[in-house]
Amino acid sequence: MKSLWGRIPLHGSGMTLTIVFIFGFVILVVTSGGTLLSHLAISSLLIYLAVPILIGMAQMVVLAVGQMNLAIGAMGGATSALMAVLMTDHGLPVWAAIIAGLACSTALGALNGVLVVLTRLNGFIVTLGTMTMLLGVQYLLVRTFTVDGYPDWLKKAGLQTVVGIPYMFLTAILTAIVVSWYFSRTIAGRRLLATGGNPLAARLSGISNDASVFQAHVISGVLVGIASLVTIASAPGINRSIGGDWLLPSFAAAIIGGVMLTGGAVAVFGTVMAACVLRLVDVARAQYSLDTSWVNFVVGVVVLFTVALSEWRQRRSTLQKMTAEVPE
Amino acid sequence: MTFALEASGLVKEFPGVRALDGVNLTLRPGTIHALLGENGAGKSTLVKIITGVHQADRGELRMAGEVRHFQSPLEAAHAGIGVVHQERNVVPAFTVAENITLQDPPRRMGIVDRDRQRRMASEALVTLGVDIDLDARVGDLSVAQVQLVEIAKALAFSSQVLLLDEPTASLTGSEAEKLFEVLQTLRDQGTAIVFVSHKLEEVFAICDTVTVLRDGVSVLESATLREHSRRQIVDLMVGRELAEQPVRHRTVDRSITAALRLERVNTGLGHRDVDLVVYPGEIYGLYGLVGAGRSELARCLLGLHPVTGGQIVLDGTPVRIRNMEEALHRYRIGYVTEDRKEEGLFFEMPVRHNVAVTVWRRLSRGIRGVSQRAENDVTSRYVDQLDIKVASNQQLVGTLSGGNQQKVSLAKWLAADTQLLIMDEPTVGVDVRTKADFHELILDLADRGLAIVLISSDLPEMIALADRISVMKEYRIVGTIDNNKDYPKMSVQIMDAIHETVHTVA
Amino acid sequence: MTTVLGQTPPKNTDTPPTRRRVVGMLTDQRMALGVIVIVLFAGFGIINPMFFNGPFVVYPLLRDTATFTVVGLAQMCALSIGHMNLAVGRMAAVSAMAAGFSFERLHMGLVPGSLIGLAVGALVGAFTGWIIVKSQVNSFVVTLAMDFALLGLVSITYTTFTSAAAFTTKPPGMATLGNGSLGDYCIGNLCGAPNVPLLVFPALVSLIAVQYLYGLTRVGRELLSTGASLRVSRLSGIPSDRRIIQAHTISGLLAGLAGIMLAVASGSFSAAIGSEFMIPSFLGPVLGGTLLVGGAVSVLGTLLGTMLTLVIRQGLSVQGFGLETLNITLGFVLLVALSTQRLRTVTWRPWRRSRA
Repeated sequence: MKSLWGRIPLHGSGMTLTIVFIFGFVILVVTSGGTLLSHLAISSLLIYLAVPILIGMAQMVVLAVGQMNLAIGAMGGATSALMAVLMTDHGLPVWAAIIAGLACSTALGALNGVLVVLTRLNGFIVTLGTMTMLLGVQYLLVRTFTVDGYPDWLKKAGLQTVVGIPYMFLTAILTAIVVSWYFSRTIAGRRLLATGGNPLAARLSGISNDASVFQAHVISGVLVGIASLVTIASAPGINRSIGGDWLLPSFAAAIIGGVMLTGGAVAVFGTVMAACVLRLVDVARAQYSLDTSWVNFVVGVVVLFTVALSEWRQRRSTLQKMTAEVPE
Repeated sequence: MTFALEASGLVKEFPGVRALDGVNLTLRPGTIHALLGENGAGKSTLVKIITGVHQADRGELRMAGEVRHFQSPLEAAHAGIGVVHQERNVVPAFTVAENITLQDPPRRMGIVDRDRQRRMASEALVTLGVDIDLDARVGDLSVAQVQLVEIAKALAFSSQVLLLDEPTASLTGSEAEKLFEVLQTLRDQGTAIVFVSHKLEEVFAICDTVTVLRDGVSVLESATLREHSRRQIVDLMVGRELAEQPVRHRTVDRSITAALRLERVNTGLGHRDVDLVVYPGEIYGLYGLVGAGRSELARCLLGLHPVTGGQIVLDGTPVRIRNMEEALHRYRIGYVTEDRKEEGLFFEMPVRHNVAVTVWRRLSRGIRGVSQRAENDVTSRYVDQLDIKVASNQQLVGTLSGGNQQKVSLAKWLAADTQLLIMDEPTVGVDVRTKADFHELILDLADRGLAIVLISSDLPEMIALADRISVMKEYRIVGTIDNNKDYPKMSVQIMDAIHETVHTVA
Repeated sequence: MTTVLGQTPPKNTDTPPTRRRVVGMLTDQRMALGVIVIVLFAGFGIINPMFFNGPFVVYPLLRDTATFTVVGLAQMCALSIGHMNLAVGRMAAVSAMAAGFSFERLHMGLVPGSLIGLAVGALVGAFTGWIIVKSQVNSFVVTLAMDFALLGLVSITYTTFTSAAAFTTKPPGMATLGNGSLGDYCIGNLCGAPNVPLLVFPALVSLIAVQYLYGLTRVGRELLSTGASLRVSRLSGIPSDRRIIQAHTISGLLAGLAGIMLAVASGSFSAAIGSEFMIPSFLGPVLGGTLLVGGAVSVLGTLLGTMLTLVIRQGLSVQGFGLETLNITLGFVLLVALSTQRLRTVTWRPWRRSRA
C-alpha cells in the first residue's frame, strides 16, 4: 500500500472522506451563492472544527486498544470549568490556569487508565462511572453560572487568525500531526497499536498490554485537555453545559473516520476528515435550515453502516479467523 | 556435543490426569526432530512445557547443558525457544518487517529505527531463503506467508530451537513444499527444529530424528528416523496392547430404513460427493486427521453451513435442515461438540441448566413454566445413569473434571431422546477410566437403537467402537471399510487409506 | 499461571468450588443491598427528620423508584442476553409521545392510549433487535445509532404536531394515577399510607412479570443461556436470534412503560421524557447483581439497586447537597460496586469482541 509522505494512505476512508468533503463543500459554496467563501464563513467553519477534531482523536486513541471513553465530554467540561474558576475566582494568571487544566485532564485520563487496569473492568463501565462523577464536579465548580471572569483577549484568542487561518484550527491540525507521528514512529505508540491489534502476540513479544491501555487513556486525557483549552479560548464563558455534546461526535468522527471498534489501528487522517465532513453537515443544516433531528438521524445511520461494513469485512478476512483467541 | 535441548524424566500431572509420565527427548543442533503421538499422548503438554506455558512437576529441561525452568512463554522466548503455533499469531495491521522485529524493535531514543528494522527483517528472510515484501501489511498475506513471517520472527531473535506445531495444517501442497525447503535450509545452518505433526508422510519426508509419545511416555526416544519403517512408527503410536481389549462384536440390521443417508452431498465448505449410510443401532465412524473435514461435514448436516448439492435423507425422508433448533426438536438429532468449553457447555451455569437445556420445551407446564423440580428430576436421572460425579445439581459445570464435563455434555442429548447422535471426538481431554466408561456407554446407546456417527482421530477407539468406518481426507471420503475389529488388520487398512501407501500383506 | 493457547487445565473435582454459585452470590448481594438501603433510609431520617416527610419526600421517592425500577428492568433484559440498550431513554420518549399523541389527537382514554404507547415501544425494541441480528453489529453501536435516530424522530414529531412541543391533554384518570396514592383508596392510614403512590402498581406488575419470565419460563432460561454463550445456545437447539429480538422487544416495552409513567407523573408528554434514564438504567441492575456480560440477572436486585441510588439522591437532596454531590457519590458507588462484583465472578470479557 503506497502512501503520501509515508503517512497519508492513498486509499481508505480518509481519502473517501476528503473527496466527500470537497464535493460537499463545493455544493454548499455554489448553493450559498458564494457567501460561504467569505472570510468570516471560512473562519467560522475552521474554528468550530478544532474541538471535533481533537475529541475525535481522543476517542480514536482508546478505540485503538479496544477500549472506549464515555467521559470525554465530562472530562472536557470539568477541565474547562476548573480553568475558568481558577482564573475568575482565584485570580490565577492565564498561563498557570492552562497548565493546571492540562494537568487536570491528563490526570483524569490516568485515573481512567488506572481504574481499567486495576479493576479489570470494562472501559465502558469505568468511564461511565468517572463521567458521572465528573458531571458532579463540573456542577460543583460552576453551578448554574456562566463563569467568564477571565481576560477578554483569551476569549477572543480563538477567533484570531494567521494568514486567514484561525489559531485554534492550527492547534488542532498540529496536534493531529503529532498524534499521527506518535503512532507511526515511536516505540510507545507502536506498542499501543500492537496491543490493540493482537494482545496475545503483543504479550508474547514482551509488550505490557496494561501499559498500553493506560497509555491510551492518558493520551485521551491530554487531547481532551487541549480541546478544553480551545473551548475556553473561543467560548464567551464556561457553564455546566460545556462538554455535554462532545460524546457522540467523538465516536462519530472516530468511527466514520475508519477506526474499528475492535482496535488495532488509528486513522488520524480519517478521523480528521470525518470531523470535517460532520462539520460540513452542520453547516449544511444551518444553510438549508434543516432540522437537527434529521441530521442526527443521518449521522446515526452512517455510523451504523460504517460499523456493519467493517465487521463484515473483518469476517471475510482469513487472517482474522486464524488469529489465536485472547485468553483471560 | 551439547544438545540444543534436552528433556529428562518430565512428569506433569493435572487433576485426575497424568499427562506426562517420564518423557525423555534429546535434540541436536542441525536436525529436524519429529514429535509424534496420537491425541492425548502428551504431545501438546510437552510442547507447552518446552515453550514455558506449563512447568513440569518433575524432571529437567536443559538447553545447551544448562538447566532451565521457564516460568512463562516470554522467558522461553528470551532463552531462545522459537515457536510457531498452529494458529497464526501476528499483528495484522503491522508490516512484515515490524512483525518480525516485534519482540525488540530497533530504536533510537524512543523512535523506531526503520532502516535497521528493515535490515534485520531482511536478514531474517534471507536466512530463510524467502522473498516477501517487507512493507506488506501482514493482514493481507496468505496464511502460508504469515507462517513464514512467524518463522522469520523466531529467527530474528536467534532462536536456537524452533518448534513448529502442526505447521502444514492449513497449507496447500506446494506451500508445504516451500515450508520444507525453508526448514531444510535452517537445519543446514545449524538450527534445531522440533516438528510436531500428525502427518506421517511429511515426517518421513523431511525429519531426521523422531520421538514418539504414547500415554504420556516416550516410547521411542530421539531415534534416527531412517532406521524405522512407517509401520513400526504407527505401531508405536497406537500401541499393540490396546488391541488386547475385549472386543465387542455387534450386528447391525441393515434391512430397515436408514436413520441417515447422505447421497452425493456437496457442501459450501468444500465437501464433494459424500456418500454414507447410517442405520439405527449402528456406530458409524468417520476417521481422519485434523483438517480432513469431518466436523465440518457434521456442521453442514446440521444446517450451520450450506449444503450445495446432493441429498440428505432422514428416516427415509429427504430433508433440508436449517439450524440446530430444527435438527434437535424436529428431527431428534443430537451433536456432542468437539470443543465442550466453547460450544458444548455453559461453564458458568449449573449442571441442571446444562442437562435440561434441550428439554425445557417438554418440561414446560403451560402457565406454570418449568419447575426446578422437573429440571432436577431429569438431571438426577442422567447423573445417575452416566455416573457423573457432582456435588449437587447446582454445581457449576466449569468446576467439574474434564471427564464429568463431557458426560454432562452427552447427558443433555440423551435427555432429549435423540435418535441420531453425532459425537465429535467424545473422549478428548478425558482420563483413561472415563474414556473406558464412555466407550461402554456408546456401545450401550447403539444397542438401544440409537444411530451414532462417531468422529474420532483416536484409532484404537475407532476400531473398538465403530461398525463401519469411512476415512476422510481433504473433505472427501477416501474409503469405507467394514470393521471386523481385528486391530492389526484394521489399523493397517485405515492408515493405508489415509497415507495412501501400498502395503504388502504381511 | 497464564495460559497461551486459550486452554485452561482441567479443574479439580476434589477441591470444593472456589466460586460461589451464581444464585448464592446474588442472594448475598441482595441481602447486603437490602440492609444498606434500610440503614441509609433510617440514617438519613435520623440526621434530618425532614427526610420522613410523607408528601414531599417519601411519596416522590417511591414514585421515582417505581419509574426507575421499570427503567432498570428494561436495561436488565438487554443485559440478560449480554447486550446493552443505550436507547432506553429515547424509547421511553417515543412511547410517551405515542401515548400523548393518542390522548391529544386521537382522543383515546388512559388505558387504550397507554397500550398504544407500549406497543410502539415494543415495536421499536423489536426493530432494534432485528437490526442487531441481521447486521451482526454490536448492540452498543446499534442502540447508540437508534438513540440518534429516535432523538430525531421525537423532536420532529413534537414540533410538527404540537404548539408547545408537548402533548398536554390529560385523559381522565391520568391525574389520579400520577398523583394519587393508596391512601385515597384504603381506609385512611391503614394500608401504610397516603405515601404509597398508585404508580407503584405498574412497577409491581412489571417486577412480577419479569421475575416470572426469567424464573419460571423456558423463554427466560433460553434468554439467560443466550447471554451466557451465544454459540453454545445455538448448538443446543435454542433459537437465539429469536430470543435476541425478544429481549430487545421487552426492553423497549419496559422503557416505554417507564416513559409513560414519567409523563403521567409529571403531567405532560414532551421530548424531554427519558433524557435522564440512561445512567440509572445501568446503576439499578448492576448494583443489584445483574452481570454485564449476560447470563445472570436479578429482578429483586434491580429493585434494590434502584432504591439505593434514589435513597442516596433523596437523602443528599434533603440535606441540602446539590446535584454535584449526588453525581459524584453515584459514580463512586458504581465503581466500587462493580470492582467487587468483578472480583467475585471473574467474568470480564474484552468488550472489543463482537457481541452481536
